[in-house]
Amino acid sequence: MSNSNAIEALVADLVPVRRLSPRDGLVVALGLMTVAVGVIALRYGFRADIVAGHPAPIVLLRSGALLLLGFAAALAATASARPAVGPSSNGWLWALGAALLFPASAAVLMIYEGTMPLEALPGPMPLYCLGLSLAASVVIGTGLTLWLRRGASVALERAGWLVGLAAGAFGTFAYSCHCSSDSLHFIGIWYSLAVAMAAGLGRLIVPHLIRW
Amino acid sequence: MIATDVSLAQLMARAQAGDATAYRTLLDECQRWLARYFARRIVPAQVDDLVQDTLISVHTKRATFDPDRPFLPWLAAIARYRWVDHLRKVYRADETILDEQMASEAEEPGIVARISLATLLDQLPAAQQVAIRLVKIEGLSIAEAAARSGQSEPLVKVNIHRGIKRLSALVESEG
Repeated sequence: MSNSNAIEALVADLVPVRRLSPRDGLVVALGLMTVAVGVIALRYGFRADIVAGHPAPIVLLRSGALLLLGFAAALAATASARPAVGPSSNGWLWALGAALLFPASAAVLMIYEGTMPLEALPGPMPLYCLGLSLAASVVIGTGLTLWLRRGASVALERAGWLVGLAAGAFGTFAYSCHCSSDSLHFIGIWYSLAVAMAAGLGRLIVPHLIRW
Repeated sequence: MIATDVSLAQLMARAQAGDATAYRTLLDECQRWLARYFARRIVPAQVDDLVQDTLISVHTKRATFDPDRPFLPWLAAIARYRWVDHLRKVYRADETILDEQMASEAEEPGIVARISLATLLDQLPAAQQVAIRLVKIEGLSIAEAAARSGQSEPLVKVNIHRGIKRLSALVESEG
């Protein structure tokens, strides 16, 4: 087929389209995060201090860090749905840096104290944390990936990392509303592991699903 | 007449609303721009096919264009994506004739396109640049490329293999 014939065929196929808006992708991610929080609240219950309206300072800190990371990563992921050249937004790296303060602080404390606290050891509670966080992350990541398939990302691996990171941060936030631990070690190790595993899964799976 | 970026963006905005006349004009301009863009980057006989593939991508992904942004960077990003994808497909087709050892290596990473094509090849080692230019862009056979470059035939194959892998990694790292 010649180029002019190809153009005529494409023109004949033209129908009005609704422009893809990254805002819609953010709504999908935030909506699914809200659903995940709701399901965890109904099935497992919120922390007592959250229900009482007086959350512990560590809960506010971890929630803020996870929400900020999730929002920044989701923003970058949804922006990547529109092809462009030139420098891309790297604001999510700052949010990631802030979130890394938790595992960094836990590591410094362990080195300083010279002991491995109980919260850092694998056991039923860490597994429970990982399981619930990752389950919520998969739901959020699936929605974000399906939305991203409508776009045209030209940086597939980057988009995969970002989807995983956003889903991991939002999913772990959903779990954190239920999590009874206030331990910096627990948050620094197991929350970080949940987010890192979600990001890794995103990198492995998402590029194959959004290739076009 | 050479359309400006602003007029191309306006044409695409009208096309997104279903204006066939604007769309035909836009695709004609895109076709000319893409033909120039790919002309020195792939074997001449393959330019038309790649232009058509890219026009189809423009068509299927037209909803991703934001009229408040410049048009040509959007088109260029799609063109680069299709170009690197084309190189990968050609490479995979040729892979059957490569040595078993090379063919069994891990699949190259996903392709993205963020940086200038003009500088992309320049970032490869000279021997890899030469091998890719001679075989993938000028269309020479492995034997002809070996004679022209002074590299042995296995080395030409290795340099193409490594060059394309590195090209993918370079583009990805700039994503």
